[in-house]
Amino acid sequence: MLFRLALWPAGLALGAFSLAIARDEPASSFAGSSLGGAVALLGAGWALLACGLVFWGRRRGNAVGPLLVAAGCAWFLAEWDNPGVDSAAAFTIGLVLFAACPPVAAWAMLAYPGGRLGLREERAAVAIALAGAVLVLGLLPALFYDPATFGCVQCPDNLLLVSDDPGLVDDLNRVGFHLGLAWSLLLIAVAAWRVARSSRTRRRVVAPVVIAGCAYLGLVVATFTTSLERGFVGSGELERRLWLGQGAALAVLAATVAWGLLRARRTRSSLARLVVELGESAPPGGLRDGLAEALGDAELELAYPVGEDRFADGRGRPIDLALLDGRAATPLVREGRPVAFILHRADLLDNPELIEEVASAARLALENERLQAEARAQLEDLRSSRARIIEAGDAERRRLERDLHDGAQQRLVGLSLGLRLLRSRLGADEDGRLAARLDDAEAELGRAIAELRQLAHGIHPAVLSDEGLAAAVEALAEEAPVRIVDLPQERFSPAVETAAYLVVAEPAKTGAVRVSAQRLDGALVVDVEAEAEPDGLLDLKDRVGALDGRLEVERATAGGVRIRAEIPCG
Amino acid sequence: MRLVVADDSMLLREGLARLLADAGFDVVGKAEDAPGLLRRVELTRPDVAIVDIKMPPTHTDEGIAAAQEIRRAHPKVGVLVLSQYLESRYAMRLLQEAPDKVGYLLKDRVSDIAVLADALKRIDEGECVIDPTIVSRLIKRPREEGPLDELTEREREVLGLMAEGRSNRAVCQALFLSPKTVEANVRQIFRKLGLQQSPDDHRRVLAVLAYLGGTGGRREG
Repeated sequence: MLFRLALWPAGLALGAFSLAIARDEPASSFAGSSLGGAVALLGAGWALLACGLVFWGRRRGNAVGPLLVAAGCAWFLAEWDNPGVDSAAAFTIGLVLFAACPPVAAWAMLAYPGGRLGLREERAAVAIALAGAVLVLGLLPALFYDPATFGCVQCPDNLLLVSDDPGLVDDLNRVGFHLGLAWSLLLIAVAAWRVARSSRTRRRVVAPVVIAGCAYLGLVVATFTTSLERGFVGSGELERRLWLGQGAALAVLAATVAWGLLRARRTRSSLARLVVELGESAPPGGLRDGLAEALGDAELELAYPVGEDRFADGRGRPIDLALLDGRAATPLVREGRPVAFILHRADLLDNPELIEEVASAARLALENERLQAEARAQLEDLRSSRARIIEAGDAERRRLERDLHDGAQQRLVGLSLGLRLLRSRLGADEDGRLAARLDDAEAELGRAIAELRQLAHGIHPAVLSDEGLAAAVEALAEEAPVRIVDLPQERFSPAVETAAYLVVAEPAKTGAVRVSAQRLDGALVVDVEAEAEPDGLLDLKDRVGALDGRLEVERATAGGVRIRAEIPCG
Repeated sequence: MRLVVADDSMLLREGLARLLADAGFDVVGKAEDAPGLLRRVELTRPDVAIVDIKMPPTHTDEGIAAAQEIRRAHPKVGVLVLSQYLESRYAMRLLQEAPDKVGYLLKDRVSDIAVLADALKRIDEGECVIDPTIVSRLIKRPREEGPLDELTEREREVLGLMAEGRSNRAVCQALFLSPKTVEANVRQIFRKLGLQQSPDDHRRVLAVLAYLGGTGGRREG
């Protein structure tokens, strides 16, 4: 932190110092004594420094910031191999690093915005360029370069001089510039390749930076081309113009990076506003809606891990990550584990900074909604298990009813047939007492059959499964005081029909009821006015609740109740 | 009288056949499911087919469909449906889908050969037959005060017999009344209940049953 703060005045001083060097010996410098030169030197260098330092501050651990700072410094250092410089150390640094700016700026361009070079080709190109600029163009010739031999009497000493060999220096320089031409073009090619294979969203983010960077590298290529034969960078009018262009391109590069920061800040603030708006009273799934709007993907979904390989949305409904249908799932990681996945358009979050923005801005809301989703998913599990239990119970009752009808009752009827046959075989001459006892047995059997039929009907009315709610309630009205106002004739699912039927049948056990039912907004609404409160109200509530419905009971005068059941029926 | 008996329970089918044979009926065919029944009827052309309402494959109300099919294909063959269901709905459906020469008796009637024989005879003569238990259940069913309360005791009896499918002549015999008295009673009943007189007995049964159990008396406007 302190180091970064110290870099601000250091950068300012560096710029001023470099300008002083250039002014001291204008003929051997790029900036010269002109105002335009000063503006280009300071403008480009300070822009890179400032932009790099701000980026560094915003994105700790991202290499782009330090690289931009380095590029800004390197831009200034190109002025230091000037005969007018007083310090031998500064002169030597200038000799070694005069060509360091292009590879460092290219590195920053290729690493933008994530900070890492993603491809092997990118890493190789940057390494070659650095070696070419600092070793071949800088260090190697410096070992054999004695300024005095080249006719520069006022130049300070070259601290790296090993042996004076002007021929070798010329050769090395020519090789260096040829190589420089090659690695500059290589960097441009790699950058273009990177843009070409990016997704649309990512291209929108990196293209301005890459275009500015490549324009700079293109001007470097042109400068190297003019220096090929000469073996050193001249300070003629053409070179000066090319250098001015480089400065402008670098300033634009810094501006595009700054613009990216500004845009990210805007996204962050819109996300932050979203989170603030959601506040603590966010409706379930509200975060999804907000993110969908902020990121511009209407179909965006949030999936929260709610258990072993299970995911749910903010409302607790299960989501299958295997069925993405061409959409991407980006994990939002906190403390090493994903708190949520954003399911989004495949190219939407290619921009890694956006993910960080989303993750940091929405962290609290995400955590909050994840907990809610988990709770809701558990509730959903509970609800469906309750529905399954009730469904299983109903199926069992239906089976029992059939077994009683088709099994026991059939046998009893068969038995009564047998008794009757036996009775008719007895004839008139047999003992009259036996016949009378057979008659008694038959009558008893008849009552047993009738009771069994009643029992089976009570367990589950067959007419409900055969013909539906309206028929079953009408049949109920044949034996219980049920007044029907209105009933839908359509069929519903067995669980819905059974629940609705019981909402009528239970109160009808204890007194007269008046029933009216209809389909309203995807729900079967059953209104029952009952003379007395039914016994099984809690069971009814459970049953209706298991189907995601509501049962309201309102006490009316004289012990009566009004029951209203709303059962979702699709 | 020639009969075909259809029931998927062998115990019942054979027992019923023997009982009917003992009572002097001629059981010319037995079947255990609807296709078998239709083949038997086609082959033997009985006077009446006795059909269990529950038969394979779903064991719910195949008997009603089979009855309808028999009545459509063989108008001379009557059908008696035996059922476990007390609800008037199934009987009404039978009457709606196969209007005459049909009967609907509760299954436990089968051991009461007198009732069974009477029903078969009436069906063969062209009447329709509704189980008295179902009719009395309808008449006695809990209801608000209404036109039914205005009927005299005698008119109620006549109404019940009409609902069971009996003709005026049969009502006369059952209640030991003169044809004139019965006709007067019937007219009164229809007037008090606000029903249209129908010349046809089957429609009369349906109208009365609909009044008692259907929408006529219970729905609010």
